[in-house]
Amino acid sequence: MKKLILLVLIAFAWQAEAQTAIDILKKHDEITFAAKDQKAELTITLTDKKGNVSTRKAVMYQKGMNKRLTRFTYPEAQAGIGFLSLPNDVMYVYLPAFGKERRIASHVKNQTFAGTDFSYDDMEAVPSIEKYNPKLIKTTETEFVLEMIPKKPETSEYSKVIIYINRTTYCSTKTEYFNKGGIKIKELIHKFEKKGNFWYAASAEMTDLRNGHKTRMTMTNITFDSNLSDDIFTVKNLVNI
Amino acid sequence: MKHKLLNKKKERFIAGDLNPLLILKKNKSNLMHKSLKIIFIALLLITSFKVVFAQDNPLKITGKFSTDQRFRTAKPQSWSWNETRIDLSMSKKFEDKAKFYSNIWFRNIGFSNLTALNQLYDKGQTSPFNIDLQEAYIDVNNFIFKDLNLKAGRQKFNWGTGDKLNPVNTLNPLDLEDIWDFGRYQGSDAMKLTYYLKSLKFEGIWLPFFRPSTLPIGDWAEAFMTIPELPAGISLNSLINHIQMPDLSLKNSSSYGFKSSATIGSFDLALHYTYFYDPIPSPDSNVITFAGSFTKINVNAFQQYIRLHNAGLSFSGELFKFGVWGEFSAFIPLEELNMQTVFGTSVMDSLILENKPWYKYLIGTDYTFKDGSYLNIQYLHGFFHEKGNANLNDYFTIAWYKKFLQDKLKITPLSGSFIVADWKDLGNKYVFIYNPEISFMPNDNTEIGLGVRIIYGKGGSTFATVKDKDEVFIKIGYNF
Repeated sequence: MKKLILLVLIAFAWQAEAQTAIDILKKHDEITFAAKDQKAELTITLTDKKGNVSTRKAVMYQKGMNKRLTRFTYPEAQAGIGFLSLPNDVMYVYLPAFGKERRIASHVKNQTFAGTDFSYDDMEAVPSIEKYNPKLIKTTETEFVLEMIPKKPETSEYSKVIIYINRTTYCSTKTEYFNKGGIKIKELIHKFEKKGNFWYAASAEMTDLRNGHKTRMTMTNITFDSNLSDDIFTVKNLVNI
Repeated sequence: MKHKLLNKKKERFIAGDLNPLLILKKNKSNLMHKSLKIIFIALLLITSFKVVFAQDNPLKITGKFSTDQRFRTAKPQSWSWNETRIDLSMSKKFEDKAKFYSNIWFRNIGFSNLTALNQLYDKGQTSPFNIDLQEAYIDVNNFIFKDLNLKAGRQKFNWGTGDKLNPVNTLNPLDLEDIWDFGRYQGSDAMKLTYYLKSLKFEGIWLPFFRPSTLPIGDWAEAFMTIPELPAGISLNSLINHIQMPDLSLKNSSSYGFKSSATIGSFDLALHYTYFYDPIPSPDSNVITFAGSFTKINVNAFQQYIRLHNAGLSFSGELFKFGVWGEFSAFIPLEELNMQTVFGTSVMDSLILENKPWYKYLIGTDYTFKDGSYLNIQYLHGFFHEKGNANLNDYFTIAWYKKFLQDKLKITPLSGSFIVADWKDLGNKYVFIYNPEISFMPNDNTEIGLGVRIIYGKGGSTFATVKDKDEVFIKIGYNF
């Protein structure tokens, strides 16, 4: 009987902890996707181990939690390339050289996004709670540390992701990515800023720990809630550069 | 005669026409005038552009410089291709209501191939150059009513889901000039209406005029040339090919097509229909006459463009994590095609195409492995120019590449095709093409590629006729 009570208590405790982790992650997602829509200019700086730097520029539109259009504007070789992320894991790419859109199959999603250290999967506009099962593994004075296990491990390159979330703002400060062998392969450092009522990642620096390559993404000229039309997030608009 | 010319030159020299100092002076003055003229025109253009395009969306000018050089590996290792191209694009958006786009190629293609001294005066022969308007159109959004788009002008349609091989893409004429760049189409002067209804898309295209395909140049010209079979003891003295273009009447020159597409589950599906001219000519008749003796003949071959209906479908999606795509295309002739051969008083008919549809199809898959390497495999039944069920060959293509150094270096060790002309006689009717390539991007806008093409085959199929013409190529491109 005592054993049964102990088991029930453990189950309740686990449930409470899981619930808390879910609440934290949901709160984090709500903060990240607080605006109804947003538009920003991205500057993506790639730095290799030797310190060689190359730059890409893009415009990003986002609506709700799962619609995002990213279009490259620089360098000229990549200008016009567009990515459209839609609900239900649907992603399209448009390559001006081919003149037609193509749906991105899941095998591509773990590949690097336009030579950066971000993968297509990292760039997808999907709330973390939809992609991961979170578990609170540590609470410090300033941060919650969640371990997130992919809900679809077969389509993810990661075995787990550890995210550090600020206890006051619920913005993430750091994210660590582990491969299937449990080795940390990438690290993302976020710097959130507040504009009006909204927090946004003013900069995000991803380091690939395997080769020391870094990608820094900075957002400028960001606007929130400008009532972006749904027409922006269509294949029709993706190909209309 | 020689003296007269010299005397004339003398007179011109005295008059100053050929005096180097005076020429220099005159040239300087001309140069100044020309320079002033150019500066004036440039200022005028800049001012006009500023006035016309001083809006939020300025005229965007982008382009690519590329050079492509190839030489044969077999002795005497001669150059087989020389192309330097500036691919210039201009686009201008009028808010989100309309867009203008144009793409023009400025090219120096081929080699100086002179046979007479007077050709040296012709720059077109010393340095073969051409300008090609690939596309120039306006695209009007929400034309008449919402979600209806009108695109008018020279344009490419890009139907189909296959990689470079698209049996359903029948409206644009093929550009087979460079056979290794297969899948290249020429723009068509056309009007296209597109209507979007949620995830459905409907397209209607009208081409008022017919534009034929260009055929390959260089050695590949032989591969596409139809040379009549001659009886033993008779040799060909001359062969003149004539071509009959469709007339320009509204009824006879028009082509049109419809496409509807939708997304169902994880698949994009499309249905296609076109009524068009086959852009590669078919034999119509041969007129044979003796050339001086009974063993030599002259042939006047007449070619025509035939009308076809085409109905097809295409799909792309994902299956077990693999990207998959396919196309099916039925070509339906309007009537049986016979070739008439007139030899003296005798007239003979031979069947070229039965009045039966022929079917081309393609299926492809791709996959990206965990190490980042990419594999693409396609199977095609019936190449662009093949007609009639009995003449369709099977093509298997494969490409496997891996990128290194943050996508700067791309190595394609496995790339090529295996072509079967007759499965029952596989040992004698096949072609094998292997073309590995390595490309490097020293910076984001520059790409240098180096590769080889090894062709081996047997039989009389198109690709077998250029067997053993292996080549090495180098390509350099810069985007601006």
